[in-house]
Amino acid sequence: MAGDTRVSRRKFLVASGAIGAAGLAGCSGDSGNGGDGGSGDDSGSDGGSSGGSSLLNAEGSSTVYPISNTGSSYWNANAPPSDGEYWGSNDESTVPGWDELDTNQNLADYFASLYGFDPTEQRSEPPFPTTVSLSHSGTGCKAVRDELVDIGNSSGPITAELGLSDSEAEEQFVDHVVGRDGQPVVVSSDIYDAGVTQLTGEQVRGIYQDEITNWSEVGGPDQEIFVVGRAEGSGTDTSFRLNMLGSADASMSGVNSRFGQNQQVAEAVSNNDGAIAYMALAFTSGTVQPIGIEFEGTLYEPDKDAENTIFDSAYPLNRDLHMYTKITEDTPSGTGMREAAFLNMFLTTFGQQVFVEQNNYIPLPTTDIESEAAKLPEQV
Amino acid sequence: MIGSPDIVSSSALARRAERVSSFVDDQESRALVTVGVMVVSLLAALVGFLLVSPLTTLPFAVFIVSAGYGWLRFQGLTARMLTLAMTASTILILLLIVLFILVESIPVLVYESTTVLGVSVPGLRMFIQANWDAVSPPIRYSMVPMIHGTVMVTGIATAVAAPLGVAAALFLSEIAPSTVREVVKPGVEILAGIPSIVYGFIGFTILSPWAADQFRTTGQGSYLFVGIIVGLMALPTVVSVAEDALSSVPESMKSGSLAMGTTDWQTMTSITIPAAFSGVSAAVLLGVGRAIGETMAATVMLRGVPQLTKPLYNAFYGQATLTSLIANNYGEADGLQMDALFAAGVILFFTVLAISVGSQYIEWQMRRKLGGEG
Repeated sequence: MAGDTRVSRRKFLVASGAIGAAGLAGCSGDSGNGGDGGSGDDSGSDGGSSGGSSLLNAEGSSTVYPISNTGSSYWNANAPPSDGEYWGSNDESTVPGWDELDTNQNLADYFASLYGFDPTEQRSEPPFPTTVSLSHSGTGCKAVRDELVDIGNSSGPITAELGLSDSEAEEQFVDHVVGRDGQPVVVSSDIYDAGVTQLTGEQVRGIYQDEITNWSEVGGPDQEIFVVGRAEGSGTDTSFRLNMLGSADASMSGVNSRFGQNQQVAEAVSNNDGAIAYMALAFTSGTVQPIGIEFEGTLYEPDKDAENTIFDSAYPLNRDLHMYTKITEDTPSGTGMREAAFLNMFLTTFGQQVFVEQNNYIPLPTTDIESEAAKLPEQV
Repeated sequence: MIGSPDIVSSSALARRAERVSSFVDDQESRALVTVGVMVVSLLAALVGFLLVSPLTTLPFAVFIVSAGYGWLRFQGLTARMLTLAMTASTILILLLIVLFILVESIPVLVYESTTVLGVSVPGLRMFIQANWDAVSPPIRYSMVPMIHGTVMVTGIATAVAAPLGVAAALFLSEIAPSTVREVVKPGVEILAGIPSIVYGFIGFTILSPWAADQFRTTGQGSYLFVGIIVGLMALPTVVSVAEDALSSVPESMKSGSLAMGTTDWQTMTSITIPAAFSGVSAAVLLGVGRAIGETMAATVMLRGVPQLTKPLYNAFYGQATLTSLIANNYGEADGLQMDALFAAGVILFFTVLAISVGSQYIEWQMRRKLGGEG
């Protein structure tokens, strides 16, 4: 009996050893494939779609994430045109911008076939799957630089994130702008209700540089200002310093608290009286009120129907949302066929409305869409 | 003892070599070959790993296969070899981590060097001025605000955890009936398993806004409440280790005291606590170690702006600790700022190391003192 168990344990050990070795072989095999994957998708760019089934991955900024991730989810679902809600048209509903597309192919099949990939004609089975990871602008830029991901999402320019000059960045990366983010200045509801519904650019600068410390100085109640900023050196922090305070290395001595993520900022503003912050438009709510900002005599209002709004491209705190791809030996144009197929989806009326506007970001004007589309390789 | 130390040690060496060679003679030659292959392939894998070679998997696979073969044919010898390799790799990993964070922090140490009496001391400026600003000039990476924050949080946490923990341990070990002890002690130890983000979450969404409201501070985030939360988190460690120390005081000592006619309480204060004092201190030190290293709760509850509070003992504002600095900035930092985070890691590492060695030493002392009489 005891002998039996020992034998069976030995067998188990042999078996597990074999599995371990197989696992190792699998590991090394995988890494090999990963390396080949890079060239594989470039063979795709020669017209074939043989290497096309490999995963397209993106990583980066939490600000670009909603756009990128919604796009990825739609892509992976590969909805048929009869769906109506996510793609195509039926009796009940039609997706925005459908009249421009009007195809009988599934969503991902359609966009992928524009760049030479074979359609699968299967729901939930795109020609190649996509995935988006959530981290930070800097992490996303580093990941695309080190070729860990295909697309690096960033809310700040890659020059600032990686400390590159403009020409260096142009040599190495292609900058695909997919939308704009309005950076409204927000205040907590007690301040908004007390009548502070707009500030001048100069007042905001004073608050962030410790020259104004009480709401009574800008027409509000007698209350200390709780000044909320973003993580030092983050994309949002850098663009706020640049656009509101004058330079990318302007002092922010008035900041009381810094948070890494939009969600934390929204939570802190709604939980504390007398708070002011700036953050992505998508996270505003009843307790986190966007206010109007007056720049050089023009008042930009947080109201879509106003004459000048914080959604305009002219609003100084607006910034481009980037998806960077890397220029490699195999893709001298900088954008492989898989990346192009995916990115092109965002540059349609459908993409701008569904992925950008419905996530509370600002869609690109037509001229910008045209210049962005010109950065992609030619369609097949 | 009589011969000169040289001779003693050389003869000891000779004896050692003799023992090794007789051990080798005793083994089957195939077993020796197998173990030899394992050693060589493992070392080759290590070299490959250090050189970041893609071929690393090859020697490692050889090692796995030879270990598998050795395990089946010469289990005793292979097990010896494997356990030795595991121990060595644990120590090696620790050394590599220490080396890595030290090397990574060198650039910021060089940047923050300052001249004292004509000699340039690297890293000194990080400790003699209190200004941290990673973006706007003058760019300074002072560790003083974070050290201050860590000291504040740790101090408050100790003030919470030490009295509560030691009192609870005393009750469990000396006063409570054994059924209560058997239920409560595992319960307290389960407390240690609550993830720190849960504490942090409650702190961020409920405690901090409430405290900001009550104390009329500008916005939320105070060392006081982070300290209290971290103290509660360290409590299970303190209770558990202190209880072990108190119960390890030999029954004969207590009985002897009781036989002299003292009350239970007199025995506790004059026999049990003094005898277990070093063990109880070790428990508090371990708790402190946990408080220093606590990251998640501190990160979400503090303000994340590295500056000193005014005045220094003001615990109603909470800026940043060494751990929260790293957790807040690792995603966005690059260049010198990233190196400064590694420098914070170095400071943390050596602090926690000192505390852990200190508590080990105290425990060892206690065992030596009480062990003989047990």
